[in-house]
Formats: sequence, structure tokens, C-alpha cells
Amino acid sequence: MKKILVLIGILFFASNALAVELTVDEVVSKANNRSYYQGKDSRAKANMVVTDSQGRTRQRQLTILKLNIQDGGDQKYFVYFHKPNDVKGMSYIVWKHVGKDDDRWLYLPAMDLVRRIAASDKRSSFAGTTFLYEDISGRSIDLDIHELDSSDPDFYVVKNTPKDVGAVEFSYYTVKIDKSNFVPMKAEYFDKSGKLYRTIEALEVKDIQGYPTVTKMKAADLNANSNTVTEFSEIKYDIGLKEDIFTERFLRNPPQQWLKE
Amino acid sequence: MVKGVELKKPVFFGFIIFICAVSPVQAAELPEWHGFVEQAFGPTISRSGLTKHNDYNMLEQRFQLKTRYAIPGENLLSDWNGVFTYKGDFVLDEYFDTTGSYEIRELNFAFSPSSMLDIKAGRQILTWGTGDYLFINDLFPKDYISFYIGRDDEYLKKPSDALRVSVYPKLVNIDFVLIPHFTANTLPDGDRLSFFDSFQGGITGQDTQNNAVKPAWQAENFEYALRLYRSFGSTEGALYYYRGFDPSPRSYLDEANRQLFYERLDVYGASVRAPFAGGIANLETGYYRSRQDAQGGNRLIENSAWKWLAGYEKDLGNDLKIGLQYQYEQKLNYDDYASALLSQDYYWDKYRHLLTQRLTKFFKNQTVMLGLFNFWSPSDKDGYVRASCAYDISDQWKLTLGVNIPWGEDDTTDFGSMKKNKNAFVRVRYSF
Repeated sequence: MKKILVLIGILFFASNALAVELTVDEVVSKANNRSYYQGKDSRAKANMVVTDSQGRTRQRQLTILKLNIQDGGDQKYFVYFHKPNDVKGMSYIVWKHVGKDDDRWLYLPAMDLVRRIAASDKRSSFAGTTFLYEDISGRSIDLDIHELDSSDPDFYVVKNTPKDVGAVEFSYYTVKIDKSNFVPMKAEYFDKSGKLYRTIEALEVKDIQGYPTVTKMKAADLNANSNTVTEFSEIKYDIGLKEDIFTERFLRNPPQQWLKE
Repeated sequence: MVKGVELKKPVFFGFIIFICAVSPVQAAELPEWHGFVEQAFGPTISRSGLTKHNDYNMLEQRFQLKTRYAIPGENLLSDWNGVFTYKGDFVLDEYFDTTGSYEIRELNFAFSPSSMLDIKAGRQILTWGTGDYLFINDLFPKDYISFYIGRDDEYLKKPSDALRVSVYPKLVNIDFVLIPHFTANTLPDGDRLSFFDSFQGGITGQDTQNNAVKPAWQAENFEYALRLYRSFGSTEGALYYYRGFDPSPRSYLDEANRQLFYERLDVYGASVRAPFAGGIANLETGYYRSRQDAQGGNRLIENSAWKWLAGYEKDLGNDLKIGLQYQYEQKLNYDDYASALLSQDYYWDKYRHLLTQRLTKFFKNQTVMLGLFNFWSPSDKDGYVRASCAYDISDQWKLTLGVNIPWGEDDTTDFGSMKKNKNAFVRVRYSF
């Protein structure tokens, strides 16, 4: 009888442990949803400060409206530039697609020009900052092979190796994910010779409407010795954005109610 | 620009008074003002000896002020998302003996009286179509002097005094523009830039005597522009219609008095733009109907024409982009035109092929931009090289250097007639 109880006990704990221990793909998927797909939609104001190797700073200030079309899949973004002053009033729409190139449009108010942006290179700088387009809108999780590098009581560390090595400038990157809420806390990118050259770090995480949200993050380019710190403010989820906001109409006439200074 | 000063000032002050009157603003809600101060200098590379100055074709200080003011509070205009926009330039033009001028580029009120309707009334910049520096269905006014001397791209577009009504039913989006007062393109006129003057039979500068007669301000001369557009997934389609005047004076009113005029013009067009082979492809066409010479037999009036444009732009990675375009133009009823010509007439060719190429490369976290734009017409045997380098020194300071090199075998073609206007330019701008 005792033996049976022990056996049941072992089975119970074993199955419990199995239920808790997620596969690496599940971890990556949860972290991806946490970073990019929380809520049905969201609004945030981003203040980005770029610091170059000589300590000179530049500022970018923008409002980002985001709508999930498909959970973990397609999304639409509206970006409105407040600063610097020479690009103030420019707006930008991205229809993010998983599995094909995004559609992007830029509106230049001084010329009343809607320019369609050829955007096959997602690993180019976002608005001249240390962040890349892919950091802002998310890198499709299908593009990498994910392996669990290490795991301690607090964090998973996932190693991500690109399936198409020629398409990107890194050979792999690791992401440290908080086990309690699946927020990615730090990403480290290694170049083709295996040297760490780029990091992205969450500096502050807050609970907003029940969603754990990164409110301050830093991207550093270790080769150029430059970095960008982004602080998000006025974050709000589930504000009821409609799909028509992400069209040429609102590109030309930015939606006032979401863009108050 | 200078000539308009007297008319425009009262409009501006009227606008300020109107803003103050309609909105009981508190100090905290006062609109923000932004703009820039710019010094620009454009020394010539080729000296024509024909224009007012031989050594340079641009020397000016520019002060731009702009504001955007969303009507606050609980009232009808704020419910309609009413927004005032003002943008105006003060220019000290040392080319013309330090003449001061003031140009309003935008002065309009935009509002949405219903969820399916946007209205914008007043002075505004209007642009549509898919071309890059090539315009088939965008007949809105352009300033080609600014283009050739190296002012910012913004100044290629001239404002129109217009009413724009946009309607968004489910099936298709509709833009309708009414322009009560004709605005002509600003074209080289000999003072600043030399050009081909058919009355003088060669490239001419200040001593040109030709003049262009603008349509009078009356209801039958109102201009209308219409665009219907929608997207099919990632593909964008548009249909265009324009009824008005050719914004460049291509027809002869009175040869003895060297008078040109802006002939009446209807344009019917269409365009498609879509992702293709990892880039963006566009196709656009326009049928130009010359209403005062629909049969084409009048040698003094521009004939009808077809224009076609195909373009492709691709991001090659590493902040390098390339754009290619091909434009084809064909004059219609050409035989009727040709048989009406007199032996001493300069004449238009039947066909024109034009190729363009744009290269844009960014360096240093996109703070340094190198740009090269090339026009080349194998049929006209002419072209135009625009190269520039822009450096964002800081969020406030920007330095732009560049060259404008039009060239051509003949004096009579579009770029060939500009060939004595080669220049370099430097602009330093402080934005606030």
C-alpha cells in the first residue's frame, strides 16, 4: 500500500512538473504575444532619445496606434511623428503581414504626398534610431529555430537561430524571458564571428490594465557605441480602434482624438 | 511671388483675426508655432551671360512659420474635428536686389461634418498620382524654377486655392477638388534661368519678350479634379479626371505680340500600385484631350496626347533604395498637326521616351543621405542629373549640398533648353 501511495505521489508530481514545463516554442509564442499582441488594440506615446558615441543626443517623439487583425499574426500600425520639428506632422502606416512583406505608406504633409515605401529590409533603422523596424513591429517567430539555452527559477533563456542566415546580419540571438509573466527582459545579438554586438533591454515593466507592459527599453549598438532609450507613456489598451484609421484617409488627416499632444 | 504680396497680406491678417474671433482660447491652448530659418546659395556651373546674374542663380534667406490648430472644447467645429493650418514663408531674395516677399503656402480649414465626409477649404498643397518627379494625373501647379535651382523638394509643389471634398462610401473613396482660380506652373522666364524661346529662336534670358496670358477669373474657367480610389488587398487602384487648363503655356495666342496661353485641357487617367518582386511597382496612364484643338489641325495649339508611366522601387537593404521609371508620351492627330505647320515653325516631336533612376543611400544612422536622380530621354537626347547630400547635423541643423545638371544636344527639348542653367547649391537650415 505504501509503495502504491509513493508511486501515485511520484506520478502526481511528475505529471505536475510536465504540465508546468512548457516547450520552447510555447515559451517563445507566449513571449511574442506579450510583447506585440496584448489587448485588441493599443495607443502609446514613445519618446526616443538616441545617443551617439560622442554623447550627442537626438530626440524622436511619436504616437503609435496598433490594432491586432489576427492574434499572433497580421497587425496594423499608425505612427504619427511629433518630434523632431522638421518631421512633425508626418504619419506612417504599416500593415504588418506574417509570411510576406509588410505594406507601408508614408505621408509627407509639406508636399501632400502619400509615398508607398518599398520595405523588404526589416532590419534597417527605425527613424534613425538604434531600434530596427523588426524591434518595433516584431520579428516573425517562424523565421527562427528556437532552443532553450538555459532555465533558472526566474528566467528562460532562448537561443534563436535564423532559418535563412543570409537574410540577416546576426548569426543568432538570445532572449531572456521572465518566467512569471513571459516579458522578454533582454535580447543579445551575436554577429557572424560569434561576438556580441547588439542588445535590447527592458528597463521598466508596469502593469497596465492587467497587461504587463515594458514602459522603458534600451537598444544598444556596441560597435557604434550608440544607444536609444525609449520611454512609453499614455499607454492604453482596448481603446476601440477601427480598421479604417489605417487607411490613406487618416494618413492625410491624422485621427485627432488619438493624437492629442 | 513678389507680385502677390499686396493681395496676400490682408488674407493673412484676416485669418488671424478669424482664429481669435471663433475660438475663445486660453493661454495654455494657444497653438504651437514651428518652422525654420534657411540660408541658400546656388553658384552657377555654366555661365550663360543671359540671366540677371551670371555667377549664381539663388541667394536667399527664408523664414517659414507654420501652425496647426485643432478647435478645442465642446462645439460644432470641435465635434467635426476642425483643424486650421497655416504655413507661410518670408523670403529675402538677394537675387532680385534683396526684395522681401511673403508667400502663404497653406491657409486652410479642414473638418469632417460626417463620418464619411472630409472637407478642406482654402490654400493647400494638392498631390496625387504614382510618379516620382513625373506627373501624369497630377495637374496641380508646380514651381520648376525652385526645382532647377535646388530649393527643397517641398517647393516643387505650389499651393492651390481650392475646395477639397472627400467622401468615403464602402465601394470606393472619392476626392473632388474645385479650383476657382487658376494657378500656373512657375517656369523659367529668363530672369533667373535661361530657356528656349521660340520667338527668338534660341536659348534666351532677360531679353525675352514673350508673355503668357492667364485665363480670367470667371465661373467657366473654374478647374475640377476628381479621383476615385480604393485598395484591393495590397493593390491600390485609382481613376482620375481633370478639367481645366494646361498649367504650362504650350500654345500660341498671338505670334506677333509673342503671347502664349494656357490651353483648355481634360485629362482622363488611371493608376495601379502594388507590391511586386520584393519592391513596389506602379503603372499610370493619362489621356490628355486638348479641348481647343481636339482635331489636332491647329498648329498654334497643343494637340491631344497619351502618356504612360511604369515605375519600380526596391529596397536593396543596408539603407539603399533604387527607383526606376519609364514614361512614354505620344501626341495624337500628329499628321494633322504636321501638315498644318509652316516651314519656319519649331515643332513638337510625335513621341517622347523618358527614363529616370533614383538612388538613395543613408549613412550614419540615417543622418547622412546621398541622393542621385537622373532623367534621361533617348528620343530627345537630353537629360538632367540631380545629386544631393543632406546631413542632419542635429535635430535642429541641417546642411544640404547638391548639383543640378541639365544637358541636351538640342536647345528645344525640355532639359536641353535648361542646359545653360547648371548649378551647385548649399542650404543651411535651422528648424524649430
